[in-house]
This record gives sequence, C-alpha cells and structure tokens, in this order.
Amino acid sequence: VRVLSVQTTGLVGLAVADNPHERLRILYTKILGVLQNIPKDAAYRKYTEQIVKQRFNLVQTETDVQKLEDKLNSGHIEEVIVQAENELSLARKMIQWKPWEPLVEEPPSDQWRWPI
Amino acid sequence: TVRPKNEVEQKQLCAFGEYLAEILPKYIQQAQVTCFNELELLIHPDGIIPVLTFLRDHTNAQFKSLADLTAVDVPSRQYRFEIVYNLLSLRFNSRIRVKTYTDELTPVDSAVSVHKAANWYEREVWDMYGVFFANHPDLRRILTDYGFEGHPFRKDFPLSGYVEV
Repeated sequence: VRVLSVQTTGLVGLAVADNPHERLRILYTKILGVLQNIPKDAAYRKYTEQIVKQRFNLVQTETDVQKLEDKLNSGHIEEVIVQAENELSLARKMIQWKPWEPLVEEPPSDQWRWPI
Repeated sequence: TVRPKNEVEQKQLCAFGEYLAEILPKYIQQAQVTCFNELELLIHPDGIIPVLTFLRDHTNAQFKSLADLTAVDVPSRQYRFEIVYNLLSLRFNSRIRVKTYTDELTPVDSAVSVHKAANWYEREVWDMYGVFFANHPDLRRILTDYGFEGHPFRKDFPLSGYVEV
C-alpha cells in the first residue's frame, strides 16, 4: 500500500494512484493476454510484447514508486497507468483491424510524386 | 549560410519510419523523411482511423496532439485532394505528418473519434475543398458566407470568385 506522502500528481484530472504496482500488474497481464490473439509473426505483437514485458519486469522488481518512475523514465506513475490502459484498448482494436496484412491497395503511380 | 544537417535526428526518424512501416504494412504506402528532418507517412484512406489511433495510443509513439489538419489540391491527379494530418508527441518531443488522398466524391473517415481537435479542422476542409467526412458529428460550413456556393480553395475556383460584391 502506497503511503500518500505525495498529495497530488500536479496534473489536472489525474488523481494519485493508491496501489500502482497492482494496477500495472493487472493491466500488463491483460495486454499480454490480448496479444495472444494476434498471429505470432506480426510485428505489432513482437514489439508490444517486448515493451510490456520490459515494463512488467521493472514493476515487479522495483517496489519503491519514486525509483520505479525514474527507471521507467516516462513521467508520473499515474501517466504510466494511463498509457497502459491506452495500449490495452489499442491492442483490442488491432485485433479488429489486422494491420499486419499486406498493403490494401497501391496508390496511382503519380499520387505521391512531388514535384508534380 | 546553410542550415546545418542533423544526421543523428535524420537516422532516428528513418529508423522510426521503418518501425512504423513494419507494424502497419496494411495501410502505409510510403514513409519518407524530408531534408528538414520531418517524418511523413503516406497512407491509404481506409487506414486513417487505425493509423491515427495507433500513433495516439502506442507506447513508443504517443502522438497525443493533433496540431493541424489540412488538404492540398492537385487537380492533375486522379485523387486530387491530399489530406494532411500533423501530429505532435509531447512525451518524445517529436512531430509526424500523415497524408492520405481522396477525390471530390469519395468520403473519408472523420478523425474526430480519435482527436477531438479535428472537428473544426474537418469543417474547414469540407467548406474550402469539398471533402466529405463520414461520421463527423456536425459537418457544415465554417468560414464561407451562409448562402455561398462553391469551394474556394480548389485550384479551379477563380481568385475573385463568381459573384460580384
């Protein structure tokens, strides 16, 4: 349980999280679970698993919140939680969109030529 | 005087462009870095919402801020309008440009569901160029007069207009 010596995050709309390790653990396990539904050779799955596993390891090894924030180097721990929630919603949408498939349609040959 | 070349930034942007092209091969047709170190992604129009959501939500690319949404008219092309999105990442202090194409009659998905800021920008593009945005909450004229006919920023619209004032 985090001792609330930090009264505020300093950011509008973000309350201080009272158990960030637990929340992050839940979010990262959910993300890894969602990523299992993506084909193994997709680049999105590979890179996101790498990022999530690295952050998960840091969260599990480091119990002090301030040191964890410094090691993650990604702003306040509450921001890291928000980012993990975003990544989770993105992973769920990626299953619908399937962006690892080959190109939908080639552009006309003069479309991207500049100067015209 | 000549602007000094920043090779490190150029390499980083090239690497990031390759990273994006590897993750989203379904929609990204081309990725290029200009000589002024600006990364541009050239997209198929079906991929606007997936690519913008990816750029906003992914941990390595937190482009949370839509800086600009414009269009470019090149009448000689088959798809004459080029829609341009400029995004800014506050976490990584980096910018990216996403470009799509469409013609006068094909609607394009609205980016409002991804970035609320796109609302008035898309109204402006509709008013000035005539590009229709599907699923936009309130697509109406924003800069032209109430009974105005025509789309002024198109290249075939004359400079002093059709109606004498």
